[in-house]
Amino acid sequence: MNWRNVLLIFRREVLDQVRDRRTLFMILVLPVLLYPAMGVGIVPLIQFAEQPRTLVLLGADALPEPKLLDGEHFAGEWFRDPSDRSKLVVVSDAAIGPAEAETVTEERRRRLLETARKFRGPLERQVVLNAQFAEAVRVGDQPAMASLGEQRKALAAELSQPFAASGMQVLVVVPPDFAEHIRQMQDAAANRQVGAITTDYPRPILLRNSADEKSAMAAIRVQKVLSSWEHAILQHVLREVGLPEELPQPVNPTEVDLAAENELAANVWSKLFPALLMMMALTGAFYPAIDLGAGEKERGTMETLLICPATRTEIVIGKFFTVMLFSMATALLNLSSAGLSGKYMLSLTGGSGGLSRLGDLSLPPMTALVWVLVLLVPLSALFSALCLALATFAKSSKEGQYYLTPLLMLTLGMTMFCLSPAVEMQPFYSVLPVMGPALLLKGLLLANHQTAMLYVYVAPVLISSLGYSFLALWWAIDQFGSEEVLFREAERFDLRLWVQHLLRDKEPTPSFSEATFAFVVIMMLQFLSLRVLQAPLQSASAEERPLVMMQVLIIQQLVIIATPPLLMGVMLTASVMKTFRLHLPQLADFAAVAMLPFALHPLTLEFSASLQWFFPPLPPSVGEAMAAMSSDHLPIWLVLLTFAFAPAVCEELAFRGFILSGFRHTGRDRLAIVLSGLAFGVMHLIPQQVLNAAMLGVLLGWIAVQTRSLWPGVAFHCLYNGMEVCRNRFGKTIEVTGGWQYLFRNEGGLRYQPLLLLLCAVVAMVLLMVLARRRRQTVADSHPSVNSPLTGSPELSIPR
Amino acid sequence: MIFVEQLTKRFADLRRDGGFTALDGVSFDVQPGEIFGLLGPNGAGKTTCLRILSTVFKPTSGTALVAGYDVVTQPAEVRARIGFMSNNTGIYDRMTAYEMVQYFGRLYGIPEDLLEARIDHLFDQLQMRDIRDTLGSKMSTGMKQKVSIARTIVHDPPVLIFDEPTSGLDVLVARKVVDEIRGLRDQGKCIIYSTHIMREVEKLCHRIAIIYKGRILALGSMAELQERYGQPDMEALFFELIDRHEAEVVSAK
Repeated sequence: MNWRNVLLIFRREVLDQVRDRRTLFMILVLPVLLYPAMGVGIVPLIQFAEQPRTLVLLGADALPEPKLLDGEHFAGEWFRDPSDRSKLVVVSDAAIGPAEAETVTEERRRRLLETARKFRGPLERQVVLNAQFAEAVRVGDQPAMASLGEQRKALAAELSQPFAASGMQVLVVVPPDFAEHIRQMQDAAANRQVGAITTDYPRPILLRNSADEKSAMAAIRVQKVLSSWEHAILQHVLREVGLPEELPQPVNPTEVDLAAENELAANVWSKLFPALLMMMALTGAFYPAIDLGAGEKERGTMETLLICPATRTEIVIGKFFTVMLFSMATALLNLSSAGLSGKYMLSLTGGSGGLSRLGDLSLPPMTALVWVLVLLVPLSALFSALCLALATFAKSSKEGQYYLTPLLMLTLGMTMFCLSPAVEMQPFYSVLPVMGPALLLKGLLLANHQTAMLYVYVAPVLISSLGYSFLALWWAIDQFGSEEVLFREAERFDLRLWVQHLLRDKEPTPSFSEATFAFVVIMMLQFLSLRVLQAPLQSASAEERPLVMMQVLIIQQLVIIATPPLLMGVMLTASVMKTFRLHLPQLADFAAVAMLPFALHPLTLEFSASLQWFFPPLPPSVGEAMAAMSSDHLPIWLVLLTFAFAPAVCEELAFRGFILSGFRHTGRDRLAIVLSGLAFGVMHLIPQQVLNAAMLGVLLGWIAVQTRSLWPGVAFHCLYNGMEVCRNRFGKTIEVTGGWQYLFRNEGGLRYQPLLLLLCAVVAMVLLMVLARRRRQTVADSHPSVNSPLTGSPELSIPR
Repeated sequence: MIFVEQLTKRFADLRRDGGFTALDGVSFDVQPGEIFGLLGPNGAGKTTCLRILSTVFKPTSGTALVAGYDVVTQPAEVRARIGFMSNNTGIYDRMTAYEMVQYFGRLYGIPEDLLEARIDHLFDQLQMRDIRDTLGSKMSTGMKQKVSIARTIVHDPPVLIFDEPTSGLDVLVARKVVDEIRGLRDQGKCIIYSTHIMREVEKLCHRIAIIYKGRILALGSMAELQERYGQPDMEALFFELIDRHEAEVVSAK
């Protein structure tokens, strides 16, 4: 590669973007103006956000001392934060002087009280009904419960509409002689006449509609007020009796909050920065990428560039660095602008309200900011390469824009998942794209004592993220090298023609997109079946469960994994034999492959056991399946059928048959094998199995290509899974004695010793070499037919 | 300089069984100091053929050598030795004429001092001093075409490929372009020129190939073709060949 060309292209593209006003606006001007503007707009909104709610109180004259109301509000002393007083407006039937009527006009007051009085009757009926219903429940009178329940519902429905239209959010009805009852109770208590204390008097009624957010919020405030008022009444009694006022609060703990101001700020930053960084690194990459990819096609300069001496790789890398520069610049500008504006706006609010606890919102320490920068590099690289590949694929800027939404949703989804407090860094997450950096950043920005433990994850996060970036870049280069992609013509999509073409121009094996579609269908069905197939399992009794589980698993294999590719194979390809590789293999190939599982099973088992720490714990359903596999209650043939035979046939048909054949249509066998292996891994969904299955998938793919037949793979799969079933079922009971101890050990299950693993490795190597050798000979023997229809017709290029 | 043998290019097409054959066993060669004309209607395969020669497309089968290098196995060598201009090779909107030519000169690896002299010379020759600092988006079609020509010949390539360079131009600009190309021929360049305009072919080309539906129907110098088919008028000859080909296709069915 000529780096001089890369630099030339990079410089030109940057210049081009800088001269584009739209790009400059999006990347430089918008973030610098947006956050301060948002701040200016939001501060008044926060301060005046909560509108006062209206409460109507009937029977104000029956309120006991101390004084609950103060003009049009509750008295300030009943609020923990006296500034909350103005958030509730009380319209009561107590006479108030004209000076006190601040907000409610006389007309409105009259109307509200009138409406409220109409509610009084039904409300009191409702209370009676409630009491009767509770009594019916207590004695277990079913018919009474049903009829009372109906009446209650009807009454509530009758109240609901007028209440919503009334303009009040809460209604409190105080019974007429409420003050009198309280006074009697207090007197009785004061005179120590315990027998005369009666609590069985009518209580105030509070009407709200908790489905209406305003009403619910107001009701919560009213209840808090009433509760502190009630407490004051109780204290009065205690004082009269001569008991300490704190008596009703024997526990009441004293709170000590260790959070320093900067830690609260760190908490804010650890949420805000990762989210903003992901979003902005992506948007910052997206718009320039569209311009550099689809835009270049649209403006007719793509061909000019393609005929210059720079290679396609140099062009892509030059463009990639341009996109990355803008992605990083956008992310950093947004971050600093958001950080500084946030800090400034908070200092303006002068530490009032809930935000004051954040102190001066001090910015994260320098080291954390350096980490932001370090992690931004692989993130930007990944987004830039992805966007560039998509932009190259798109034939117009408009089409390119369509790809932004799914990309953004996916990234946002992953980021939001990471920001949830319950999600913490663990080995498996650290190697995932986007999530690894997001979690690491979240932890590092918190800057607390746990941060030190996170440094072990830095290397895996950086290495895997860079790996993903390289993969994405490789894809972008691949896109750029494909004339079908570069010269896609704007063609009217005609569904009828397309279906006709699919069914008419059948090739011996499926196309790449048909194979991809088959995989997507399998994954979708897996997802949908989660519920459908769980249902019979949940309704089964405990002793039936293992049996039902076996049935469900077999059905899943047949319906979800085998059926879609089989149907597609019959409908869309000309040769079912070739698509599914149903030809018989050579005997020697078959024998070599059939011996392979005996050597590989111990190796893979010990390998995945040694990686157990790396993955999140297994979901309970898998544990149950494992238990069912090893339980002695089920006949062994059923277990073998479920876990060995059915998957061997179904999964091989799908993944080494249809999907691998389709992927090989690209003419690149190695890529096809790796892709089909990865697809096979992903299909297993559970992280532990994904890795193992992906590796075996690659091996099985290679075997299928080498032996040109599905059957050796089926045999391998069946034997491999069969060995695992037998190990689980019989391994526990086997006593390892004598010389066997050099080969096996029993650790709650049969395990293998290093010596045996070494032997297995040697045998596996030999078998694999034999297989690799045999293929070369057969190729040499039958050279003319190698390019035969197996790979379809590679010379046919498809402008999509 | 250009050697093409049995060149075939097929694209998949939903409407046609077995795909669409844009180029079907085309063979010809072009010598230095010669202008070779590809004459054919729209969709005849001219652009596909020239895109293969400029290494943008890969042929489905057949060979093409440009300046002694294979377009499939040595594309970089080929690209360094050709100048390619078509109505699909636009110029950048946000670059001035000078920057545009300089950028491509640098990509061709011309040393800075040489490049500067070369661009000066080209700007004089093409009379584009006054648009030196004009952005591409502000240029008229004629100005853009001049910049494209300057871009095409900035590295003084031995082989030049022009794909309908005059299409969409008014007569004045078209005539200027044709004059430039004639000047390049006089410098001994090997030039391949595709068009659907008979007059240009008559004026410019030493030899022509009449191409229709991906096949070459006739190939030779103007005089040879007139003699072979006994038809002195170029336009009449063109229509006659196409009619004859259609008749053959019908009878073959």
